[in-house]
Amino acid sequence: MAKESTTIDVGEPSTVTKSSSHVVVDEKQKKGIVAAAAGGGYKRGLAIFDFLLRLAAIGITIGASSVMFTAEETLPFFTQFLQFQAGYDDFPTFQFFVISIAIVASYLVLSLPFSIVTIVRPLAVAPRLILLISDTMVLTLTTAAAAAAAAIVYLAHNGNSNTNWLPICQQFGDFCQATSTAVVAASISVVFFILLIVISAVALKRH
Amino acid sequence: MKNESTIIDVPAESSSAMKGKAPLIGVAKDHTTSGSGGYKRGLSIFDFLLRLAAIVAASVAAGTMFTSDETLPFFTQFLQFQAGYDDIPTFQFFVIAMSIVSGYLVLSLPISVVTIVRPLATAPRLLLLVLDTAALAFNMAAASSAAAISYLAHNGNQNTNWLPICQQFGDFCLKSSGAVVSSFVAVVFFTILVVLSGVALKRH
Repeated sequence: MAKESTTIDVGEPSTVTKSSSHVVVDEKQKKGIVAAAAGGGYKRGLAIFDFLLRLAAIGITIGASSVMFTAEETLPFFTQFLQFQAGYDDFPTFQFFVISIAIVASYLVLSLPFSIVTIVRPLAVAPRLILLISDTMVLTLTTAAAAAAAAIVYLAHNGNSNTNWLPICQQFGDFCQATSTAVVAASISVVFFILLIVISAVALKRH
Repeated sequence: MKNESTIIDVPAESSSAMKGKAPLIGVAKDHTTSGSGGYKRGLSIFDFLLRLAAIVAASVAAGTMFTSDETLPFFTQFLQFQAGYDDIPTFQFFVIAMSIVSGYLVLSLPISVVTIVRPLATAPRLLLLVLDTAALAFNMAAASSAAAISYLAHNGNQNTNWLPICQQFGDFCLKSSGAVVSSFVAVVFFTILVVLSGVALKRH
């Protein structure tokens, strides 16, 4: 029986070779873990900023809606037949404003849990995508309400000579001031929504 | 001199067969033409087509409002009864804003083409998403403020004694209302564009 056999000079002990290969694998694993932590770190920061922006937007939208809701004024003089009053319900556009900004405020409250989920799980894609899509829709609603009310407020301040629409602010000063404040607050919330959408998009992107 | 030596039995199989059974440590995956690039490219093509449609909607809105002049056939010795978009500052803002939005859409077409050619690049998509969001808000502001004035022109307001002018200027009202509707269509397109960019950005 002939066996093939050879002679090998054993140089270094085999344990040194084994440990160096293990180090390669461990470094790769460590790099993977570090990458996940770093991505999770700044995404978590973005999620916390998102949560704080949402809280601020809740405050502003509730403020805008309530200021417009309570924007009534009764002039001190009256005739035998009429009393001169102005309120938000005299203008369908302002009614739309109050209702839609209230809807936006309640949406923001309902979206707070999703925002918390993105803080706890910074790398999850689904909550951020849901927030981005619903924030886009609510952005359009807020912008619609703010812009329509701004057009009416502009008309109330300046009037229009071509259509014979008289500026009512000269008589109803307090009413005009309250409605203008509400419109400015709603416009600030529009800026917040744009920031929220951009934050969600930046946090969504891959590396 | 003593050498350490040992005896090894070489098996009958060749060494290349043994190598083939050895486990590989790291396998490089080729992602360039995998499924994720494929569906993102589809989203980019849909994005490009939507942009073309939005260009049409926005420019139609601006053009219709711009040409919505009407002169009534009767006139007195001192006045001629005319109505045009430049009589109402909100409609002036509408024409300017829709023109800016149309111009932005035309300029964003090359970036959309870049996302078709390189479906996995995130920078063009992120840029498009941010700019589209700003354009969406701008478009919506123009559309809804013009809608508020159009509503007033159709219905008037008894409490403030603002008379509805549509009863006299029918054509002007029709054209301006049509322009408002067209710009709302552009808003819908923008919303879909923003959501598309968001979905195409996400990781796997």
